[in-house]
Amino acid sequence: MVDARVGAPIRVAAKVVALRDEGGANRRLTLHVEGWPGFEPGQFVMLSPGPLGEVTRSDPLLPRPMAVYRQERADGGARVEILFKRHGRGTALLAGCLPGQRVRLLGPLGRPFPAPVEGERAVLVAGGTGIASILELASRLAARGRAVQVLLGARSASDLMGEADFEALGIPLEIATEDGSRGRRALVTELLEAALLDPAPARVYACGPTPMMRRAAEIAAAHGRRCVVSLENPMACGFGVCLGCAAPLRRGGFALVCRDGPVFDAAEIDWEGLA
Amino acid sequence: MSAAPLRPEQVDPRVDLGGIALRNAVLTASGTFGYGVEFAPFLDLRRLGGFVAKSLTLEPRHGNPPRRIAEAPSGMLNAISLENVGVDAFVRDKLPALPEGVTVVASVFETEVERYVEVVKRLTGVGRIAGLEVNASCPHVKSGGIEFGQNPALLAQLVRAVRRASALPLLVKLSPNVTDIGEMARVCEGEGASGISLINSVQAMEVDVESRRPVLSNVLGGLSGPAIRPIALRMVWQASRAVRLPLCGVGGIESAADAVKFLLCGATAVQVGTSNYLNPAIAGEIVDGIVAYAARHGFARVADLVGALEAPPR
Repeated sequence: MVDARVGAPIRVAAKVVALRDEGGANRRLTLHVEGWPGFEPGQFVMLSPGPLGEVTRSDPLLPRPMAVYRQERADGGARVEILFKRHGRGTALLAGCLPGQRVRLLGPLGRPFPAPVEGERAVLVAGGTGIASILELASRLAARGRAVQVLLGARSASDLMGEADFEALGIPLEIATEDGSRGRRALVTELLEAALLDPAPARVYACGPTPMMRRAAEIAAAHGRRCVVSLENPMACGFGVCLGCAAPLRRGGFALVCRDGPVFDAAEIDWEGLA
Repeated sequence: MSAAPLRPEQVDPRVDLGGIALRNAVLTASGTFGYGVEFAPFLDLRRLGGFVAKSLTLEPRHGNPPRRIAEAPSGMLNAISLENVGVDAFVRDKLPALPEGVTVVASVFETEVERYVEVVKRLTGVGRIAGLEVNASCPHVKSGGIEFGQNPALLAQLVRAVRRASALPLLVKLSPNVTDIGEMARVCEGEGASGISLINSVQAMEVDVESRRPVLSNVLGGLSGPAIRPIALRMVWQASRAVRLPLCGVGGIESAADAVKFLLCGATAVQVGTSNYLNPAIAGEIVDGIVAYAARHGFARVADLVGALEAPPR
């Protein structure tokens, strides 16, 4: 994995290199992206199957926002991996892509995760597809010798994504499933409670379903730790014009998840108002 | 048509939309193109005929809580509720950020006639603004929430007042949520509008079965995208038979071929809306595609395509 600089977003027809079944509804999409400018952990892309420059399909209409899982330099561009769950019509289309087919890609978009300050341990807590947002963060922090701990949660073993990739990083990793089929039978936020008993300075990075992130933010606040979250609101454009992804703020008004986020300080978010 | 094909550079792409001189027939629709600068990484804004900025109100507006959008077959619903920076911040901050040579139409949206007039006054005399588009799809509070564009008397009152307040070219954007679009078009013509944009989004609703709740926090939203294109085309055609005013066709345009359909049905220009979200460079591609179509069919001017629909077979 390379540590590329963030570039301006590009719009290209990326080529499907592989689409792998990762168990359950989880899929791993590997794209070859010409001219990929690199991304920072937490950024995302908008994906829609089909070539550029011609209307091939209007149903479902909207591209799907997807976290970039990781990247690797390749001839004239990069291999970009996306980990996702097949659960609706848009993701079913992506899951049906064959090697050689094209996927319209716009990105990288959004503001990345902030780095922990010197001496701060990074506690990464992710559930469900939120796991896809934090591998690169864990990887880069580990490569820089920063203290990092990863807590992953899923409904069951078959829903859990990316476990082997996190294991390969050689950093502390704990897993919770709701049915106990892998790791501890618990919610991942319960692992967070335990992790924050360590009194050393720590910053929490949370990504997953809204109730999970909200709970993670509460736990972090109760332990006096800062918490950043990566929100996943539905959006049509990804670059700040449809205004569909508005997240209510505690101080009033809204932030756009695509443009102002997706990463936010958890204390800024009005969790009650976030649908 | 049996005219000999031309080369694209032989085609004159310019059109005149009610006194707004456009370098080509493609604008981008209000609310789908931000304040323009958001698209600068993807598209040279000067390639556009023009762009209609996000609807402006007297005061800044925050818009509705989530959820604000929902997907629909070949379309999407939105209930943003006209979130915008307000007219003064637009004039002060947003307009100067645009490159020179971009044709800007300012869209206006309010809840009372007097407030529409005030916004229009603040936009009049601002050098960069080539024309106004009055969004008539706003619920009129005093009339129990009916849209201005749904009641001929209210619409007449609005257009008359705005017409008096400004000498700028004045487009009125009509609501499709009416029985007789021709009647509304005639009202605009009678009150001195320079042109008509149609259609705005179609009032719609979506339900989440699992939670048994409306998907949108506002319950109702506006349907846009390819799903509404045939409705928009029908209404443009009907309006073109009702009035002589130039029309600007809006609704689900995804390609140059779609844009040409609107021109053939009587639109002088078109606006690209929801498709900007899917492809931020689409409006530029449509500009080129319209010229290519005109050349292929031997039309020396894009303006000659307007209303060139052949009579249907009898």
